[in-house]
Amino acid sequence: MSEINSSKTVSIISRQAPYGSNRAHQSLDIALAAAVFEQAVNYIFMGDGVYQLLGNQNATSIQSKTLVNALETLDLYGIESIFIDSQSLRERNLTPKDLALNASIVSRGEIAKIVRASDSVFNL
Amino acid sequence: MSTLHTVSKAPSFRLLETCLSIIQAGDAVLFIEDGVYHCQQSTELLRNSEVKFYCLREDLIARGLIDRKLDTIETVNTQGFVDLCVQHDGIVNWF
Amino acid sequence: MYGAILNVKFTVVVHSAPYSTQAAASAYRFTKALLEQGHDVYRLFFFGDGVHNTSKLTVVAQDDTNWQQQWDKLIELQKLDSVVCVTSAIKRGIIDEAESARHELGAVSLSSSSEISGLGQLIDATINSDRVINFG
Repeated sequence: MSEINSSKTVSIISRQAPYGSNRAHQSLDIALAAAVFEQAVNYIFMGDGVYQLLGNQNATSIQSKTLVNALETLDLYGIESIFIDSQSLRERNLTPKDLALNASIVSRGEIAKIVRASDSVFNL
Repeated sequence: MSTLHTVSKAPSFRLLETCLSIIQAGDAVLFIEDGVYHCQQSTELLRNSEVKFYCLREDLIARGLIDRKLDTIETVNTQGFVDLCVQHDGIVNWF
Repeated sequence: MYGAILNVKFTVVVHSAPYSTQAAASAYRFTKALLEQGHDVYRLFFFGDGVHNTSKLTVVAQDDTNWQQQWDKLIELQKLDSVVCVTSAIKRGIIDEAESARHELGAVSLSSSSEISGLGQLIDATINSDRVINFG
């Protein structure tokens, strides 16, 4: 690997629900790798991606790992810029109280600014 | 700073709607793969004067849309796709 | 203003298997076009189902395109840096010599033009490329 010597901003937009596809898990893997390599990470949940954050998940019933448990440990990896799209919550009749994660609830306009300020965006 | 967005799913996936909700003035949208079906009929979403719309010629031809495309959407080939990536500072892919 | 940009370093990330969706074919044509225009590929990164593009154990009908072979030829010819995500690859049966030996699998399926490595290579690519484009 060539030397990693500068920090860039990597934004991950996670738009898919967990378990039905592997996209949610892939978003997490990219976020963790970026954090391990000391990049600035913005982790954005929108669309069906907000379903990843629901509390009381237990995926052992489908022989899978419970994704929200891993998402709850993001701060241990230094990922603190976590954003949840308020419109997506509203459209799904969810409120922050339904979620297992404390994060900033943001508007589409704020997401637009975060995306514009990113060096690279993974939109899964 | 500007961003090129690619949209590669048909309109029924409503990706363009989400894409446009986080787009900024000066950004561009390129329709590729099944995304080119957006170019077949005029919709409110496409009447956004702050955003430039493009579609990929090879994907239009493959789908029988080359003569059905809206005049307001500019056609580029894959070389043009590369140029658009170079001309914008960032790329966001919607798939 | 864009005239000043003569040569741009791209990283192309492929998320989908060939034959299932058009994405891998789009990625291939994009990669070829950018090279023809004098730009560079910093890295190809095959992620998730995209790892299937690097299997050498594929046979297709004569009138069909062998995408794995097309990628292999392009990577060899242009000496591209092509990386296959390890966690995606080994669970999908994309195995290099080292993994085959380690897990005593008795077979190798990865084209020799690509190498298996970690997601760190994707992050390295985001740092060192001018543009990262994803096809999925």
